[in-house]
Amino acid sequence: MTPLMVVLSITAVKDAIDDLKRHQSDDRVNNLPVLLLVNGKMKEDKWMNVQVGDIIKLENNQPVVADILLLSSSEPYSLTYIETADLDGETNLKVKQAISVTSDMEDRLELLSAFNGEVRCEAPNNKLDRFSGILTYKGKNYFLDHDKLLLRGCIIRNTDWCYGLVIYTGPDTKLMQNSGKSTVKRTQIDHLMNVLVLWIFLGLGIICFVLAVGHGIWQNKKGYHFQIFLPWEKYVSSSAVSAILIFWSYFIILNTMVPISLYVSVEIIRLGNSLYINWDRKMFYAPRNTPAQARTTTLNEELGQVKYVFSDKTGTLTQNIMIFNKCSINGKLYGDTYDKDGQRVTVSEKEKVDFSYNKLADPKFSFYDKTLVEAVKKGDHWVHLFFRSLSLCHTVMSEEKVEGMLVYQAQSPDEGALVTAARNFGFVFRSRTSETVIVVEMGKTRVYQLLTILDFNNVRKRMSVIVRTPEDRIMLFCKGADTIICELLHPSCSSLCDVTMEHLDDCASEGLRTLMVAYRELDEAFFQDWSKRHTEACLSLENRESRLSSVYEEVEKDLMLLGVTAIEDKLQDGVPETIIILKKAKIRLWVLTGDKQETAVNIAYSCNLFEDEMDEVFVVEGRDDETIRKELRTARNKMKPESLLDSDPINIYLTTKPELPFEIPEEVANGNYGLIIDGYSLAYALEGNLELELLRTACMCKGVICCRMTPLQKAQVVELMKRYKKVVTLAVGDGANDVSMIKAAHIGVGISGQEGLQAMLNSDFTFSQFQYLQRLLLVHGRWSYNRMCKFLSYFFYKNFTFTLVHFWYAFFNGFSAQTVYETWFITCYNLVYTSLPVLGMSLFDQDVNETWSLLFPELYEPGQHNLYFNKKEFVKCLMHGIYSSFVLFFVPMGTLYNAERNDGKDISDYQSFSLVVQTSLIWVVTIQIALKTTYWTMISHVVIWGSLGFYFCMSFLLYSDGLCLAFPDVFQFLAPEKKE
Amino acid sequence: MEERPQHRPSRLPDNSALKQQELPAHRLYFTARRVLFVFFTTGIFSLCMGIILILSARSTQEIEINYTRICANCAKLRENASNFDKECTCSIPFNLSGKMMGNIYMYYKLYGFYQNLYRYVRSRSNRQLMGKDIKAVDDCAPFKMSDNKTPIVPCGAIANSMFNDTIILLHNINSSVQIKVPMLKSGLTWWTDKYVKFQNPSSKNLADEFRGTTKPPNWPKPIYDLDKKDPRNNGFLNDDFIVWMRAAAFPTFKKLYGRLNRTHHFIEGLPAGNYSLNITYNFPVTRFHGEKSVVLSTLTWCGGNSLFLGLAYTVTGAITWLASFAMMAIHIMLKNKKMSFFHQ
Repeated sequence: MTPLMVVLSITAVKDAIDDLKRHQSDDRVNNLPVLLLVNGKMKEDKWMNVQVGDIIKLENNQPVVADILLLSSSEPYSLTYIETADLDGETNLKVKQAISVTSDMEDRLELLSAFNGEVRCEAPNNKLDRFSGILTYKGKNYFLDHDKLLLRGCIIRNTDWCYGLVIYTGPDTKLMQNSGKSTVKRTQIDHLMNVLVLWIFLGLGIICFVLAVGHGIWQNKKGYHFQIFLPWEKYVSSSAVSAILIFWSYFIILNTMVPISLYVSVEIIRLGNSLYINWDRKMFYAPRNTPAQARTTTLNEELGQVKYVFSDKTGTLTQNIMIFNKCSINGKLYGDTYDKDGQRVTVSEKEKVDFSYNKLADPKFSFYDKTLVEAVKKGDHWVHLFFRSLSLCHTVMSEEKVEGMLVYQAQSPDEGALVTAARNFGFVFRSRTSETVIVVEMGKTRVYQLLTILDFNNVRKRMSVIVRTPEDRIMLFCKGADTIICELLHPSCSSLCDVTMEHLDDCASEGLRTLMVAYRELDEAFFQDWSKRHTEACLSLENRESRLSSVYEEVEKDLMLLGVTAIEDKLQDGVPETIIILKKAKIRLWVLTGDKQETAVNIAYSCNLFEDEMDEVFVVEGRDDETIRKELRTARNKMKPESLLDSDPINIYLTTKPELPFEIPEEVANGNYGLIIDGYSLAYALEGNLELELLRTACMCKGVICCRMTPLQKAQVVELMKRYKKVVTLAVGDGANDVSMIKAAHIGVGISGQEGLQAMLNSDFTFSQFQYLQRLLLVHGRWSYNRMCKFLSYFFYKNFTFTLVHFWYAFFNGFSAQTVYETWFITCYNLVYTSLPVLGMSLFDQDVNETWSLLFPELYEPGQHNLYFNKKEFVKCLMHGIYSSFVLFFVPMGTLYNAERNDGKDISDYQSFSLVVQTSLIWVVTIQIALKTTYWTMISHVVIWGSLGFYFCMSFLLYSDGLCLAFPDVFQFLAPEKKE
Repeated sequence: MEERPQHRPSRLPDNSALKQQELPAHRLYFTARRVLFVFFTTGIFSLCMGIILILSARSTQEIEINYTRICANCAKLRENASNFDKECTCSIPFNLSGKMMGNIYMYYKLYGFYQNLYRYVRSRSNRQLMGKDIKAVDDCAPFKMSDNKTPIVPCGAIANSMFNDTIILLHNINSSVQIKVPMLKSGLTWWTDKYVKFQNPSSKNLADEFRGTTKPPNWPKPIYDLDKKDPRNNGFLNDDFIVWMRAAAFPTFKKLYGRLNRTHHFIEGLPAGNYSLNITYNFPVTRFHGEKSVVLSTLTWCGGNSLFLGLAYTVTGAITWLASFAMMAIHIMLKNKKMSFFHQ
């Protein structure tokens, strides 16, 4: 009973604290202030009172309360800048623009109050980049898309104020729709434990039934006649009644078989093993002063069983810091430094280039090749043009709070790196309006008129700007993927193109992200003509996208090649090594990223997820069910042709249409393959009936990359894996966009990095470097799993051994529910005599030390297949327990049966028998744990031998005559001998 | 490495052996040599112990005379509870072919008597038996009070069912002369039983002390009248009583009844010859299909003639040796395999 109470109270307190914390944080969020427009006046109210249809005012740096339709803002054209880090993990600013009818209202409250437009929009959904609705205002319909919508979770930046109409609130917001379900995570061992406890209960029932039947028969044959010495109780009318009573008596006696204290012990062990993670100096990241942290203390042993790791890319594998590393301008490669002998210089020996000639340079920027600076200073025409194009062709925002201190807000870190590079070399992008770009070129301020931005998208893979220079020339600058730009080049630069492509391949093979830069000078007439067509295309309502892109193509041709930029997305320290080790441990890594495909693939190669020796990397990028199915099947045909045949066991199994949940066994491919799939095709694959195809194909590959993923898709992939494979999944990420996946996976790991705290707060374990994952899994996880398994098998064993002795004794005491041991021993056995040694083992044991577990990652595999504790192991424990209890009962019985001491006094009495059995039992279980313990620390010695010694001390105390004299009814046993 | 802001204390975890899981420790390496050594020594030890124990046990002598059936008329008489006051004696002659040397112990042995039933074992009052409060009968159900509501002393099922046959051993020197073999009725109990657990109430006159109580229903005489010859062997301190009160663990058990007083004729033990047992047959066993017998036994350093422990040791030793030979064979086989593997 005591253990049960302890278990319940511990669990209750823990849950209560958790609930209280959650309640407090909910309260805090609900009571945040917001400005609501009520009766023509702004009124402060609480977040929780915001309703659909309200008009609210948001100010700079405020978070957006709900999904709102932008009406107007302080900026020209009602632009509003927002940061979406919490939604998609991207740290750059994005621009939203209100439609013109509403932007005219500006901040005139009387107009806003009178605003009576009607919005019809789609039902709440989780698609972050899609929204369609129609605003009916003053009898006219206006089309609304996601560019007009400010989503909850964004933060207003660089905008003094804006007004918006609330469209979705609370759980309907896209943020909440994406957040995934928050469920209590339980480990497989937990489930197994519950099942086993149920089994034990059933077993207990059966044993008690057998004994009760035995009692009935005995009462009939013997007990009835023995009534001269022991009459039956008055309420026992027949042996059947007696048997029913005995059933319950045995239920009470044998209840020690159901290990109630198991749950407490398991909690303690997990807590201890979590603390080790918090305490590990080797998982402490000094630059950020952050130790690793186990936020959940109930998942430890699963760390030793992980089979699939789902990783975010940006900020997890990489540092999310882009560095301008190399460039090739007009056929000359800059960036590598050579010493006098023509040898490449390593980073540590390199000298940074001095940018002191440029007052606006970013001090953090470093570059090592002096020849480029010299070229800039010399005034090389091509180099100047190259950097000019970098400083003009982008969508970066600049902020200059202090004179000369420029801060760039870039759509993508790549762009930021390029503009920063241009800035340092003397082409400083200073500010922009919607019509002009101001650049300080080598100290001189020049104002460019921004004529058109031909924006970037996935298909075009390039962006261009058309500007009018101060010299009144019209220039088009373009940057984009090499494959695309090469096609658009003017034939005259084909030889330059060949040289540049060589450089580009060099850079790409080093894992650098490359972009090609080109320009074109347009004549006035052509531009005017094109501009007209462009405006038409912009205003068209049907096929706007395709018409625009065809217009773009008209001008983006006959480009003159300038050069190539190469940007390094620096991997975190030790990432490739970690991935190699994880691969050796047969852990499959899937990279789920919101990034574009090229970047993701580059990183995959540089961090060893994909190897050059791979047999093939499949790319799935279909746009409909059939294509995707075909692509997946082609891939599988290469990897394991027989898996497509009807005779394949899995196919046969699937044709039987098994009910969920069913499990797909592991399939082995005939080589080393990789798979790349993008979010768009994944949407089909996940939502259609292709998920099994996808899963089977992907699971055969050694490495998988999913790019362009929405947060929810990340979670869906994890869920898919959990649904059909009985494996432990781990998700690791750093941004708010990883939260749903972190929540969905069995284990969520948050990297505390650049992108805020969301991921960390929702994770089970956090640390600051991806490389610590190997320590978390291979060292801590492995130990935790081994310890937990050893603990469970020993714990069940010791309880069976202890309890089943009563069962054997029943056959010799008329099934009368007589116990073998004395009451005090029964009370102390689980709580005192045997609890510490097993806890000690499960907190300190190490089967191999950390060096070996990292050196031989193969040691991790047994955990993935759950070999150390499963139903089979449990049955072994049970058998072992039955055998031990058998020996523990029958050997003392044989020895004491009708035995006497050498002075003639008989010792076949109940007390002697009890003492012999219980002392043997203590010895046996202690020796068992001593044999199981492989790592003998001082503590192990103290707890193991101490417990044994303590048993003997307790025995001397409990069986002393002082206690017996004082409480004759409580302490009935008495040491037999005393010196006379 | 970036410079850390000075005002923030470092959160670097302590570098203690416990927290870094680097406690000094030694590992158990079960090499084949060590394991085989342990197995062989354990085997030798067990075999030796087994052989010694078996030889010792075989050096003892024991005879057992089952008198359930032999005294059939008495058994029949006792079947009917109403005949409790009718005395029945029975004499059983037996022949001792060889002499029994050394200390001889006489036991009575009961078969099928369940002293270990849950309710039976608990049905006693330790407070009463200690002489502290002779009216404490709470734990004694179903023998707490007599019909006229006076407490039973000694109360409880154990006391009530006390073995009450009298056994007298006679040596027939020839057909007419019989000598009573002298038996000691003291030193039969555990020391702590006699001096701690069982105490008479302090008064000198036991009969006074036990006034206001009733004898157990099965008893012919009250507790203070058990031994008429030796007044000190009366009340709760009666050796037979104490021996009986120590409940046996199994339904077949024997309890010490007397020790041979080695004087005169019996100074070396029991000489060979004809003997007879004179039994006053009071204890009813046939009613619950039990049996009873008298056991005469000599002892050695390790107790009586039970071979079990010796056999258990021998078997264990033998199995350990078998196992160690098997392991050695496997070890050598694998070693050769490994060697040949390396030679290739």
